[in-house]
Amino acid sequence: MDYKYIEQLLERYWECQTTLEEEAILRTFFRQEDVPASLLPYRQLFIEEDKMANEHLGKDFQDKILRMVDEEEPASSLPEGGPVVCKARRMTVIHRLRPFYRAAGLIAIMLSIGNAAHQSFTDEEDAAKTPQMAETIPFDSLQDISIGQPEEQSAALATQIPDTLDAFTR
Amino acid sequence: MENISFRTIVLPLGDRLYRLALRITMNRAEAEDVVQDTLLKVWECRSEWEQIGNLEAFAMTICRNRAIDITKRVGRNAASLDVVDNRRQTTDNGQQSLEAHEQLSLVRRLMDNLPEVQRTIMLLRDVEGRSYQEIAQVLGISEIQVKVYLHRARTKVKNGVKD
Repeated sequence: MDYKYIEQLLERYWECQTTLEEEAILRTFFRQEDVPASLLPYRQLFIEEDKMANEHLGKDFQDKILRMVDEEEPASSLPEGGPVVCKARRMTVIHRLRPFYRAAGLIAIMLSIGNAAHQSFTDEEDAAKTPQMAETIPFDSLQDISIGQPEEQSAALATQIPDTLDAFTR
Repeated sequence: MENISFRTIVLPLGDRLYRLALRITMNRAEAEDVVQDTLLKVWECRSEWEQIGNLEAFAMTICRNRAIDITKRVGRNAASLDVVDNRRQTTDNGQQSLEAHEQLSLVRRLMDNLPEVQRTIMLLRDVEGRSYQEIAQVLGISEIQVKVYLHRARTKVKNGVKD
Protein backbone atom coordinates (compact mmCIF):
# COMPACT_ATOMS: atom_id res chain seq x y z
CA MET A 1 0.00 0.00 0.00
CA ASP A 2 1.28 3.46 -0.91
CA TYR A 3 1.44 5.87 2.02
CA LYS A 4 3.10 8.66 0.08
CA TYR A 5 0.09 10.92 0.37
CA ILE A 6 -0.01 10.42 4.14
CA GLU A 7 3.72 10.99 4.40
CA GLN A 8 3.42 14.19 2.41
CA LEU A 9 0.54 15.33 4.57
CA LEU A 10 2.53 14.52 7.69
CA GLU A 11 5.49 16.54 6.46
CA ARG A 12 3.22 19.49 5.80
CA TYR A 13 1.65 18.94 9.21
CA TRP A 14 5.01 19.36 10.97
CA GLU A 15 5.56 22.54 8.98
CA CYS A 16 2.10 23.86 9.93
CA GLN A 17 1.03 24.03 6.29
CA THR A 18 -1.94 21.68 6.51
CA THR A 19 -5.54 22.81 6.61
CA LEU A 20 -7.97 21.63 9.28
CA GLU A 21 -9.47 19.18 6.76
CA GLU A 22 -6.07 17.67 5.95
CA GLU A 23 -5.32 17.34 9.64
CA ALA A 24 -8.63 15.51 10.04
CA ILE A 25 -7.51 13.06 7.30
CA LEU A 26 -4.30 12.41 9.20
CA ARG A 27 -6.23 11.88 12.42
CA THR A 28 -8.55 9.38 10.75
CA PHE A 29 -5.60 7.54 9.24
CA PHE A 30 -3.75 7.20 12.54
CA ARG A 31 -6.89 5.96 14.33
CA GLN A 32 -6.66 2.67 12.46
CA GLU A 33 -4.60 -0.17 13.88
CA ASP A 34 -2.82 -1.01 10.62
CA VAL A 35 -0.20 1.71 10.41
CA PRO A 36 3.18 1.15 8.71
CA ALA A 37 6.20 0.91 10.99
CA SER A 38 7.74 4.08 9.57
CA LEU A 39 4.70 6.10 10.73
CA LEU A 40 4.00 4.21 13.95
CA PRO A 41 5.99 6.54 16.26
CA TYR A 42 3.66 9.38 15.33
CA ARG A 43 0.48 7.41 15.85
CA GLN A 44 0.51 7.90 19.60
CA LEU A 45 0.47 11.66 19.16
CA PHE A 46 -2.86 11.55 17.35
CA ILE A 47 -4.25 8.89 19.68
CA GLU A 48 -3.30 11.01 22.65
CA GLU A 49 -4.93 14.08 21.13
CA ASP A 50 -8.11 12.06 20.56
CA LYS A 51 -8.09 11.13 24.24
CA MET A 52 -7.66 14.76 25.23
CA ALA A 53 -10.72 15.60 23.16
CA ASN A 54 -12.75 13.19 25.28
CA GLU A 55 -12.03 14.96 28.55
CA HIS A 56 -15.37 16.14 29.98
CA LEU A 57 -16.69 17.90 33.01
CA GLY A 58 -18.70 16.02 35.61
CA LYS A 59 -22.40 15.42 34.99
CA ASP A 60 -23.57 17.67 37.80
CA PHE A 61 -21.34 20.56 36.81
CA GLN A 62 -23.85 22.17 34.45
CA ASP A 63 -26.62 21.89 37.05
CA LYS A 64 -24.39 23.53 39.62
CA ILE A 65 -23.63 26.45 37.30
CA LEU A 66 -27.30 26.86 36.37
CA ARG A 67 -28.26 26.94 40.04
CA MET A 68 -25.67 29.64 40.68
CA VAL A 69 -26.87 31.65 37.70
CA ASP A 70 -30.53 31.25 38.68
CA GLU A 71 -29.76 32.51 42.15
CA GLU A 72 -28.24 35.66 40.77
CA GLU A 73 -30.91 36.31 38.18
CA PRO A 74 -33.66 37.67 40.49
CA ALA A 75 -31.25 40.31 41.84
CA SER A 76 -30.83 41.74 38.35
CA SER A 77 -34.56 41.73 37.69
CA LEU A 78 -35.47 43.70 40.80
CA PRO A 79 -37.30 46.99 40.17
CA GLU A 80 -35.49 50.27 40.50
CA GLY A 81 -35.50 51.76 43.99
CA GLY A 82 -34.71 48.56 45.81
CA PRO A 83 -36.61 45.45 46.68
CA VAL A 84 -40.33 45.48 47.36
CA VAL A 85 -41.08 44.64 51.00
CA CYS A 86 -44.21 42.59 51.63
CA LYS A 87 -45.50 42.26 55.21
CA ALA A 88 -47.44 39.19 56.25
CA ARG A 89 -50.61 39.97 58.24
CA ARG A 90 -52.52 37.53 60.41
CA MET A 91 -56.21 37.24 59.45
CA THR A 92 -58.54 36.38 62.36
CA VAL A 93 -62.16 35.15 62.05
CA ILE A 94 -63.43 38.62 62.97
CA HIS A 95 -61.37 40.13 60.16
CA ARG A 96 -62.67 37.60 57.70
CA LEU A 97 -66.37 38.21 58.66
CA ARG A 98 -66.06 41.98 58.72
CA PRO A 99 -67.63 42.46 55.24
CA PHE A 100 -70.71 40.52 56.36
CA TYR A 101 -71.06 42.68 59.47
CA ARG A 102 -70.89 45.78 57.34
CA ALA A 103 -73.52 44.48 54.90
CA ALA A 104 -75.82 43.50 57.78
CA GLY A 105 -75.42 46.93 59.37
CA LEU A 106 -76.21 48.67 56.10
CA ILE A 107 -79.36 46.56 55.63
CA ALA A 108 -80.46 47.32 59.20
CA ILE A 109 -80.06 51.07 58.62
CA MET A 110 -82.04 50.92 55.37
CA LEU A 111 -84.83 48.95 57.02
CA SER A 112 -84.97 51.43 59.92
CA ILE A 113 -85.24 54.37 57.54
CA GLY A 114 -87.93 52.61 55.52
CA ASN A 115 -89.86 51.72 58.63
CA ALA A 116 -89.65 55.24 59.96
CA ALA A 117 -90.86 56.67 56.65
CA HIS A 118 -93.76 54.23 56.52
CA GLN A 119 -94.67 55.03 60.12
CA SER A 120 -94.74 58.78 59.53
CA PHE A 121 -96.89 58.32 56.40
CA THR A 122 -99.49 56.22 58.21
CA ASP A 123 -99.54 58.68 61.15
CA GLU A 124 -100.35 61.52 58.73
CA GLU A 125 -103.37 59.64 57.35
CA ASP A 126 -104.69 58.80 60.85
CA ALA A 127 -104.27 62.37 62.07
CA ALA A 128 -106.96 63.57 59.71
CA LYS A 129 -109.49 61.45 61.62
CA THR A 130 -108.88 63.06 65.00
CA PRO A 131 -110.91 66.12 66.23
CA GLN A 132 -107.83 68.28 66.50
CA MET A 133 -106.94 67.61 62.91
CA ALA A 134 -110.48 68.07 61.78
CA GLU A 135 -110.56 71.50 63.43
CA THR A 136 -107.68 72.62 61.37
CA ILE A 137 -109.30 71.68 58.07
CA PRO A 138 -109.84 75.00 56.22
CA PHE A 139 -113.31 75.98 55.50
CA ASP A 140 -112.53 76.59 51.82
CA SER A 141 -111.58 73.01 51.35
CA LEU A 142 -114.88 71.92 52.72
CA GLN A 143 -116.54 74.23 50.29
CA ASP A 144 -114.66 72.53 47.49
CA ILE A 145 -116.28 69.27 48.48
CA SER A 146 -119.63 70.75 47.79
CA ILE A 147 -118.77 71.60 44.22
CA GLY A 148 -120.96 69.69 41.91
CA GLN A 149 -123.90 69.67 44.43
CA PRO A 150 -127.12 71.60 43.62
CA GLU A 151 -126.91 75.23 44.72
CA GLU A 152 -129.66 74.92 47.34
CA GLN A 153 -128.00 71.89 48.91
CA SER A 154 -124.65 73.60 48.82
CA ALA A 155 -125.98 76.72 50.51
CA ALA A 156 -127.71 74.65 53.18
CA LEU A 157 -124.59 72.58 53.71
CA ALA A 158 -122.52 75.72 54.00
CA THR A 159 -124.76 77.10 56.74
CA GLN A 160 -124.79 73.75 58.60
CA ILE A 161 -121.07 73.19 58.69
CA PRO A 162 -120.07 75.93 61.14
CA ASP A 163 -122.84 74.78 63.49
CA THR A 164 -121.71 71.21 63.21
CA LEU A 165 -118.12 72.18 63.89
CA ASP A 166 -119.11 74.22 66.94
CA ALA A 167 -121.10 71.33 68.29
CA PHE A 168 -118.30 68.94 67.59
CA THR A 169 -115.68 71.01 69.31
CA ARG A 170 -117.89 71.59 72.37
CA MET B 1 -33.75 35.65 26.86
CA GLU B 2 -30.35 36.04 28.48
CA ASN B 3 -30.82 32.84 30.42
CA ILE B 4 -31.67 30.91 27.25
CA SER B 5 -28.54 32.21 25.53
CA PHE B 6 -26.45 31.19 28.51
CA ARG B 7 -27.89 27.70 28.41
CA THR B 8 -27.60 27.26 24.67
CA ILE B 9 -24.42 29.16 23.84
CA VAL B 10 -22.24 29.68 26.90
CA LEU B 11 -22.84 26.56 28.98
CA PRO B 12 -21.95 24.12 26.15
CA LEU B 13 -18.49 25.72 26.05
CA GLY B 14 -17.81 24.15 29.44
CA ASP B 15 -16.03 21.03 28.16
CA ARG B 16 -13.77 23.01 25.83
CA LEU B 17 -12.93 25.43 28.61
CA TYR B 18 -12.26 22.51 30.92
CA ARG B 19 -9.80 20.92 28.48
CA LEU B 20 -8.00 24.23 28.11
CA ALA B 21 -7.86 24.81 31.86
CA LEU B 22 -6.73 21.23 32.42
CA ARG B 23 -3.84 21.63 29.97
CA ILE B 24 -2.66 24.68 31.87
CA THR B 25 -3.32 23.79 35.52
CA MET B 26 -2.68 20.04 35.12
CA ASN B 27 -5.20 19.49 37.89
CA ARG B 28 -8.81 18.43 37.42
CA ALA B 29 -10.26 20.10 40.51
CA GLU B 30 -8.51 23.36 39.74
CA ALA B 31 -9.53 23.17 36.11
CA GLU B 32 -13.16 22.75 37.17
CA ASP B 33 -12.87 25.78 39.44
CA VAL B 34 -11.40 27.77 36.59
CA VAL B 35 -14.29 26.81 34.31
CA GLN B 36 -16.82 27.74 36.99
CA ASP B 37 -15.19 31.14 37.50
CA THR B 38 -15.06 31.67 33.76
CA LEU B 39 -18.71 30.84 33.16
CA LEU B 40 -19.84 33.07 36.02
CA LYS B 41 -17.64 35.87 34.71
CA VAL B 42 -19.19 35.51 31.26
CA TRP B 43 -22.64 35.54 32.88
CA GLU B 44 -21.79 38.76 34.74
CA CYS B 45 -20.87 40.35 31.41
CA ARG B 46 -24.21 39.37 29.83
CA SER B 47 -25.13 42.99 29.14
CA GLU B 48 -22.09 43.19 26.82
CA TRP B 49 -22.66 39.95 24.91
CA GLU B 50 -23.93 41.76 21.85
CA GLN B 51 -20.81 43.93 21.70
CA ILE B 52 -18.55 40.89 22.06
CA GLY B 53 -18.02 39.51 18.57
CA ASN B 54 -16.87 35.99 19.45
CA LEU B 55 -18.24 34.85 22.79
CA GLU B 56 -16.29 31.59 22.67
CA ALA B 57 -12.98 33.36 22.15
CA PHE B 58 -13.92 35.76 24.95
CA ALA B 59 -14.63 32.86 27.32
CA MET B 60 -11.46 31.04 26.25
CA THR B 61 -9.37 34.13 26.97
CA ILE B 62 -10.87 34.50 30.45
CA CYS B 63 -10.36 30.81 31.09
CA ARG B 64 -6.72 30.85 30.00
CA ASN B 65 -5.90 33.91 32.08
CA ARG B 66 -7.58 32.44 35.17
CA ALA B 67 -5.78 29.14 34.71
CA ILE B 68 -2.42 30.89 34.33
CA ASP B 69 -3.13 32.95 37.47
CA ILE B 70 -3.91 29.83 39.49
CA THR B 71 -0.84 28.02 38.19
CA LYS B 72 1.37 30.97 39.12
CA ARG B 73 -0.23 31.27 42.54
CA VAL B 74 0.22 27.60 43.32
CA GLY B 75 3.69 27.62 41.78
CA ARG B 76 3.06 24.51 39.77
CA ASN B 77 4.99 23.58 36.63
CA ALA B 78 4.26 21.20 33.80
CA ALA B 79 6.14 18.31 35.36
CA SER B 80 3.34 17.74 37.85
CA LEU B 81 1.12 16.51 35.04
CA ASP B 82 2.75 13.11 35.64
CA VAL B 83 0.11 12.65 38.29
CA VAL B 84 -2.55 12.88 35.61
CA ASP B 85 -0.47 10.60 33.39
CA ASN B 86 -0.26 7.89 36.02
CA ARG B 87 -4.00 8.03 36.62
CA ARG B 88 -4.61 7.81 32.91
CA GLN B 89 -2.33 4.81 32.51
CA THR B 90 -4.04 2.87 35.26
CA THR B 91 -7.43 3.43 33.68
CA ASP B 92 -6.39 2.49 30.17
CA ASN B 93 -7.55 -0.70 28.53
CA GLY B 94 -5.49 -3.63 29.80
CA GLN B 95 -5.06 -5.01 26.29
CA GLN B 96 -2.79 -2.17 25.32
CA SER B 97 0.81 -3.23 25.27
CA LEU B 98 3.38 -1.92 27.71
CA GLU B 99 5.23 -0.47 24.75
CA ALA B 100 2.20 1.55 23.77
CA HIS B 101 1.88 2.78 27.33
CA GLU B 102 5.47 3.89 27.34
CA GLN B 103 5.05 5.58 23.98
CA LEU B 104 1.87 7.25 25.17
CA SER B 105 3.57 8.42 28.29
CA LEU B 106 6.45 9.73 26.22
CA VAL B 107 4.12 11.69 23.95
CA ARG B 108 2.24 13.05 26.96
CA ARG B 109 5.45 14.03 28.68
CA LEU B 110 6.67 15.76 25.55
CA MET B 111 3.41 17.66 25.18
CA ASP B 112 3.15 18.54 28.84
CA ASN B 113 6.69 19.83 28.99
CA LEU B 114 6.02 22.36 26.27
CA PRO B 115 5.82 26.00 27.34
CA GLU B 116 2.26 27.03 28.24
CA VAL B 117 1.66 29.06 25.11
CA GLN B 118 2.80 26.23 22.82
CA ARG B 119 0.76 23.71 24.79
CA THR B 120 -2.33 25.87 24.57
CA ILE B 121 -1.92 26.48 20.85
CA MET B 122 -1.41 22.78 20.17
CA LEU B 123 -4.55 21.98 22.14
CA LEU B 124 -6.66 24.60 20.38
CA ARG B 125 -5.45 23.52 16.93
CA ASP B 126 -5.06 19.74 17.19
CA VAL B 127 -7.70 18.87 19.79
CA GLU B 128 -10.29 21.60 19.41
CA GLY B 129 -9.79 22.12 15.66
CA ARG B 130 -9.68 25.93 15.85
CA SER B 131 -8.44 28.07 12.99
CA TYR B 132 -5.25 30.12 13.29
CA GLN B 133 -7.37 33.25 13.35
CA GLU B 134 -9.47 32.03 16.30
CA ILE B 135 -6.36 30.94 18.22
CA ALA B 136 -4.76 34.32 17.59
CA GLN B 137 -7.89 36.01 18.94
CA VAL B 138 -7.91 33.92 22.13
CA LEU B 139 -4.23 34.49 22.84
CA GLY B 140 -4.17 38.08 21.66
CA ILE B 141 -1.28 37.52 19.25
CA SER B 142 -0.92 37.50 15.46
CA GLU B 143 -1.63 34.49 13.25
CA ILE B 144 2.04 34.42 12.23
CA GLN B 145 3.04 34.12 15.87
CA VAL B 146 0.53 31.33 16.34
CA LYS B 147 2.10 29.40 13.46
CA VAL B 148 5.58 30.00 14.82
CA TYR B 149 4.65 28.68 18.27
CA LEU B 150 2.79 25.72 16.80
CA HIS B 151 5.71 24.86 14.55
CA ARG B 152 8.05 24.86 17.54
CA ALA B 153 5.66 22.68 19.53
CA ARG B 154 5.17 20.11 16.79
CA THR B 155 8.88 19.98 16.02
CA LYS B 156 9.69 19.28 19.68
CA VAL B 157 7.16 16.46 19.83
CA LYS B 158 8.31 15.03 16.50
CA ASN B 159 11.98 15.07 17.51
CA GLY B 160 11.16 13.65 20.92
CA VAL B 161 9.17 10.76 19.43
CA LYS B 162 11.86 9.99 16.81
CA ASP B 163 14.65 9.94 19.39
